[in-house]
Amino acid sequence: MSFPTIEFAVFFVAVFILSWALMPHPRAWRPFILVASYVFYGWVDWRWVLLLVSSSVVNTVAARVIATSPSPRTRKHALIAAVCFDLGLLCTFKYFGFFVTQVDDFLDSIGLGSPLPLVQIVLPIGISFFTFQAISYVVDVYRGDTRAASLGDVAILQAFFPHLVAGPIVRANELLPQLRMPRDPRTVLAGPGLFLVAGGLVKKTVVADELARRVVDPVFNDPLAHSGAEVLLAIYGFAAQIYCDFSGYTDMAIGLALLLGFVLPQNFNRPYLALSLQDFWRRWHMTLSRWLRDYLYIPLGGNRHGARRTYRNLMLTMLLGGLWHGAAWTFVIWGGIHGTALSVERWARERWVGFRLPVWLAWLITFHVVCLAWVFFRSPNLSTAFDMLGQIGAAGPSPLVTLPMVLLTVAAIAIQSLPSGWWRQAEGWLVRQPVAAQGVAFGVLLVVADAAVGQQGVAPFIYYQF
Amino acid sequence: MPAGRVLGVIVIALLIAALFNSQAIVRAGEGMGQGTTRDVVLSIGRPLDDVAGAIGFHLPREGLDLAFGHDPKTATGTELEQGSTAILRRRAAQRPAAAPDWRQPTRDRPLDLLVTGDSEAEFVGERVVDQAPSGLLEVSTVARNATGLTNPAFFNWELNAQQEIAARDPDAVIMAIGGNDGFNVEAGGQLYGPHDPEWQTEYARRVAVVMRELSQNGKRPVYWVPPPTARDDEFNAIYKSQNRAVAQAARAVPGARYVDVYNTINGGRYSDELKIDGRRVLARQADGVHFTRDGAVVPTRLILRAMARDYPALGNRGGP
Repeated sequence: MSFPTIEFAVFFVAVFILSWALMPHPRAWRPFILVASYVFYGWVDWRWVLLLVSSSVVNTVAARVIATSPSPRTRKHALIAAVCFDLGLLCTFKYFGFFVTQVDDFLDSIGLGSPLPLVQIVLPIGISFFTFQAISYVVDVYRGDTRAASLGDVAILQAFFPHLVAGPIVRANELLPQLRMPRDPRTVLAGPGLFLVAGGLVKKTVVADELARRVVDPVFNDPLAHSGAEVLLAIYGFAAQIYCDFSGYTDMAIGLALLLGFVLPQNFNRPYLALSLQDFWRRWHMTLSRWLRDYLYIPLGGNRHGARRTYRNLMLTMLLGGLWHGAAWTFVIWGGIHGTALSVERWARERWVGFRLPVWLAWLITFHVVCLAWVFFRSPNLSTAFDMLGQIGAAGPSPLVTLPMVLLTVAAIAIQSLPSGWWRQAEGWLVRQPVAAQGVAFGVLLVVADAAVGQQGVAPFIYYQF
Repeated sequence: MPAGRVLGVIVIALLIAALFNSQAIVRAGEGMGQGTTRDVVLSIGRPLDDVAGAIGFHLPREGLDLAFGHDPKTATGTELEQGSTAILRRRAAQRPAAAPDWRQPTRDRPLDLLVTGDSEAEFVGERVVDQAPSGLLEVSTVARNATGLTNPAFFNWELNAQQEIAARDPDAVIMAIGGNDGFNVEAGGQLYGPHDPEWQTEYARRVAVVMRELSQNGKRPVYWVPPPTARDDEFNAIYKSQNRAVAQAARAVPGARYVDVYNTINGGRYSDELKIDGRRVLARQADGVHFTRDGAVVPTRLILRAMARDYPALGNRGGP
């Protein structure tokens, strides 16, 4: 079930009523929210729910063993078993096809034929997200950062429907304590909740889908048929599109959770204002960044073993971050660009201590490195990416470069520089209005959002595929 | 804010959205697969739409559609919904000469090619760009997901064809469509299912109507690509019927070309994988209908081969 649909609107109203009605009775509320989340997830294919349940069971058992066993060896084995299970699940669904094709091609090239069956495996939506949460849970239990929880709590941690499909990636110690805390139905954080849902909807339908349909998709589908101006607008347009698409989804997820009384971690903090790549990764997909930092970069050694090892660790982390998006060279290069830029930045900082680029130049360089990486991220293959870059200087008519699309792209990027206090003031103003006025305002916004999408419907969120 | 007031805000908002978007609710319902959800959405949406329409609540939404540049995609009284099968009985004498006078592509003046249809059109469009000789085609791909000819209440392809042709005036069109066409159709006041012979005739009539709009009676060629074989035999029965219908319609409409991917690919037998240029590739998506991006190479070759008969310069690269 996707957020901007009729089915979800009906589902959410029912869940909202029942969730607040059952909130004073935790023994009834927990099974309810779990079943609701499974209904949400299994709406398209109920078999995916079995996968989610099996992940919860295995990780709960492993965490119990880790928490209760006196033997360090047993605890370590339980951790390794759980992580192997989680990664195995992810690899089977996400990388098996790619792996088989590569092995098969290799065997064929050395004359051994093509013995492996090519199997089409459906990628269950959200598998990367709930797997990462599972890994963080067992590792946190192993490290003593969180306590082992009951199967029900772990299942809710993984399946809680606002964050299930595309994050934010929530840690156990962020959500589990909230499951145990009583919530007051008289103090729902309606202002930020409604504001985030409405804002996310507008970002997705009015900005992301419009840019995709009118500029980004046509140009990336056939770069050589477009002028340099169109290619440049498509590149900047995609930067705006992916931000509005992904952060729009996250805003809705966080807003919906707030309306149910739960606080999820922030995932975006005006990323295109970043003045360095390091700064960018502190603002973009923040819950993935900290996951990669805490469960990959630091275990690899982080910056504790000299400059070379640090660069290697940065590069490895970003390459694996790229591969997390999918088994394709385009994602590897995307990760490689970020890894290289982070390493160069670090090297330059250590080489010229105290030297600082002018703010405008630092912003310009950071933004364009990010955009360069987006070209590879968006392209279906490397040749398209190189065609895009090679076409930047091409002359020719540019019918896709229209004032509304240029303004939309600029606005999507520039709006991040508005002071966050303005948004809070707007939220405060909204909740002070009468219920009817708020309802009308929100309803008009829904009508406008649906009109913006038009008859083709809302495109799937980009991060659903990961 | 108390939860009760939040609920009030949400309910008022949804009611307003439902009243002013009632047409969109009906269209969304029409676009759903057969089942309880569709029945529920339509049984609520249709009466709501009647009431909203009578009060004039459609007007703001129509104004917004205009502001966003969205043309309406449904209409009543079109030939697609109801018309004569005479369109299928065009006499040979009425057809234009065998070698129509279509402008041939050059690198200075490539052909404007519109690739359209349902979701199948997406990879076909991408692959045509990759596989056609460089510089001879300028491809625009417009995939209308989940649409078909048997559900004009959701998306009217006759209307859409008129709009696309008026807006783009392409030199040639590729239409890849049919995967969502399992709905019953009404013809002569009777309802026919996809397994009835009358369904095939009605489908052929609808195809001919859209072909005529796209080709504008032979002004440009239209390469129509019905679905390939599917993993599911039940789908195959429908797809086979559709392929016959498209072949029949293409014989009647000037400029229309039937591209047979159903009987040609893998000898008409479904397979998840295909051997392409000596390399095994996973050719179909998990639904057992759509081609993967790698697999779309094969139907695209067949399409380019069909195009090369009209545009010899496109030959060779799209070869077998």
